[in-house]
Amino acid sequence: MANQKKGGAVAAVGGFFKSVGGFLSDFGTAFVKGDVFVKLSAVWMGAGYARRRQYAKAVIMTALEAAVIAFTIVFAMQYVPKFGTLGTVTMERVFNMQTMKSEFNDYDNSFSILLFSLFSFVIWAAALVIWMKNIINVYRLQKMDEAGEHINTFREDLHSYIEDKFHITLLTLPVLGITVFTFVPILLLIFVAFTNYDQQHMPPSALFSWTGFTNFLSLFGGGGLTTTFSYAFVRVLGWTLVWAFFATFTTYIGGILLSLLLNSQKTRAPRFWRTLFIITIAVPQFVSLLLVRNFFSNGGIVNTICANIGLTGFLRNIGLVSTSYIPFLSAPGWAHVMIILINIWIGIPYQMLIATGVLMNLPADQLESARVDGAKPYQIFAKITMPYMLFVTGPALVTDFVKNINNFNVIYLLTEGVYTTTNQAMANSQAKEVDLLVTWLFRLTQDYYNYKMASAIGIIVFIICAVFTLFAFNRMIGNGREEDYQ
Amino acid sequence: MKKMKSNRTSRIIGHNVLIGVLAFIWLIPIVWLVCTSFSSYPGMNTSTFFPKEWSLIHYQKLFHPDTVQQFPRWFMNTFIIACFTTVISTSFVVMVAYATSVLRFPMRKPLMNMAVILNLFPGMLSMIAVYFVLKTFNLTNSYAGLIMVYSGSAGLGYLIAKGFFDTVPRALCEAARIDGCSEARIFWQIVIPMSRPILVYTVISSFLAPWMDFVFAKMILNAGISANYTVAIGLYKMLDKSLINSYFTIFCCGGVLVSVPISILFFIMQKFYVEGITGGAVKG
Repeated sequence: MANQKKGGAVAAVGGFFKSVGGFLSDFGTAFVKGDVFVKLSAVWMGAGYARRRQYAKAVIMTALEAAVIAFTIVFAMQYVPKFGTLGTVTMERVFNMQTMKSEFNDYDNSFSILLFSLFSFVIWAAALVIWMKNIINVYRLQKMDEAGEHINTFREDLHSYIEDKFHITLLTLPVLGITVFTFVPILLLIFVAFTNYDQQHMPPSALFSWTGFTNFLSLFGGGGLTTTFSYAFVRVLGWTLVWAFFATFTTYIGGILLSLLLNSQKTRAPRFWRTLFIITIAVPQFVSLLLVRNFFSNGGIVNTICANIGLTGFLRNIGLVSTSYIPFLSAPGWAHVMIILINIWIGIPYQMLIATGVLMNLPADQLESARVDGAKPYQIFAKITMPYMLFVTGPALVTDFVKNINNFNVIYLLTEGVYTTTNQAMANSQAKEVDLLVTWLFRLTQDYYNYKMASAIGIIVFIICAVFTLFAFNRMIGNGREEDYQ
Repeated sequence: MKKMKSNRTSRIIGHNVLIGVLAFIWLIPIVWLVCTSFSSYPGMNTSTFFPKEWSLIHYQKLFHPDTVQQFPRWFMNTFIIACFTTVISTSFVVMVAYATSVLRFPMRKPLMNMAVILNLFPGMLSMIAVYFVLKTFNLTNSYAGLIMVYSGSAGLGYLIAKGFFDTVPRALCEAARIDGCSEARIFWQIVIPMSRPILVYTVISSFLAPWMDFVFAKMILNAGISANYTVAIGLYKMLDKSLINSYFTIFCCGGVLVSVPISILFFIMQKFYVEGITGGAVKG
């Protein structure tokens, strides 16, 4: 599955540009070879249809064109011209002589300017595609007319949306959803990273403006005196990678071992045992993680037990603990190890499920012949089971690594409000030693309104994930060949 | 010979004991959750594993809301959000999966390639930007915003369902087409009825998303009033430092009550997921 999903990421980029090229050349041909009505369609989008007596379509296209023009004049022109500066008029209270009241002036809202300009760009891009597509369609109609073929009536056109154009009916809404809730936000994030949008520059009361690569510079150590972002960034990034590595591999190996253990012929009642393990992941994470965090809290039950059996005293004697309790989740080092251990608890049953599914399809004849040849169990594991698992779940392993880089839940639910950093430099940039890039970014936006840095961090996270994925997949597999399975 | 047999028996016992020990470790926190929920003491029990006194009083309190805890309300809120999300997400996923799997059209490959690239962006990141957008339209602290966040981009998660549709025999669709069946009818009357496992899987997994989610709910409903929270946010707020001593046991009760239906759905989904993957493979 994952194989198809990301296998062709490199080919995807290439394929995308190729089809764009094809579309452009179609458009060129249509425009150059079309008759006067096709050319007229470039100005009046309904022209070509009207000439071929598709009046309903002509009306629709004209209305669409009018709508885009109206949108441009009434809406877009308020924002797009200010896109270069992101607004110049700050909000002020002015006394209105007519109403005898203090009112706000006609101020600029930088964020609205940025967002709605972006919105206009997307609409215009869509309109441009429709406009080009329209010319191609009209040219096709012209050729059909010349060849004396039947031209669809409006009713037939409508009918085609449940026939050969059914994909348009199916895809319009989902694609719209993805555009609005994934595509535009990502663009917005990229733009915000190049501004100084933060608590001191919060619309509507203040303006923000373009600052170029300043935010990235301060992440990478050019920040000057006031910020310590580069210091925190290196540490948070380091822990993010360490965490992602351990979280992925411990649960992956553990999951395979557990599933081998459960599916062994020696196991009695395997379904019962499997159910017990699955219960752990069936409980929502916000319940189980919040619970575990209190289980291991400074005054919690585990600490009481450790104190009673003398473990706390022992650890204090050898110098691992300096407090009267064991700081499982509240001191650096301890918290890092505990988080990885707790993640093992949460992650292994999940990996066990996946591994069980894959191992069911393990070629049984290979195992059998290995056993006949006298291979030891660990030899079978190392030479047959693991290579097979790696072959099948390799792509999923890469996806898991990326997911762990962004594993917000585990870190946030375990440490937020429990772990307080004592490192002043980290605290200055609102980071903690146990933060991942995403939890740091979340805190920066939610509690400190530091959108500019959060966006810059977000872009860095994307680059790390994308480069890692592309690199790993390019080495592991080629393009997904979905047609082979049909 | 006899020695070998007893050797084998002890190996089997050792094997099962090992699994038992592991299962025991894995279940400790869950057992603690259930036990604590029956405690008569409202705060966290820090001295013993099992409560000193057992009682049902906190389950009763759970159904008598006060200013902090309004569990029945939260449960209803989450349920409503989950229902809307299920309808929208499921239809988006099925529509995209069907279009990319069964239909052939020029934009198919480019669109799928776009999806690959967009999927490289971690959802978490785009959601921070979605938050900006929702704030501009005043949709934060509203269910509409949350539902949109859960289901708006659902189309991107079409790959599992597509994998299933890929295994539906093409000959069936071809035959229907030759008999003059429209594409829409093939979709509704041939492929959809054959795809029960993957439909159930999609429905349950999109229904579970709002119940399991914490981040987006916190981001979008954070500033709202208690009565509007979802279960996740409500339970999280109960563990605030100032509240934990009087609400910890109620938190456990809420946790148990939420986990029971979710676990059941999770187990059903499990089964259908495996069926959706393997059942499809046999058919193809």
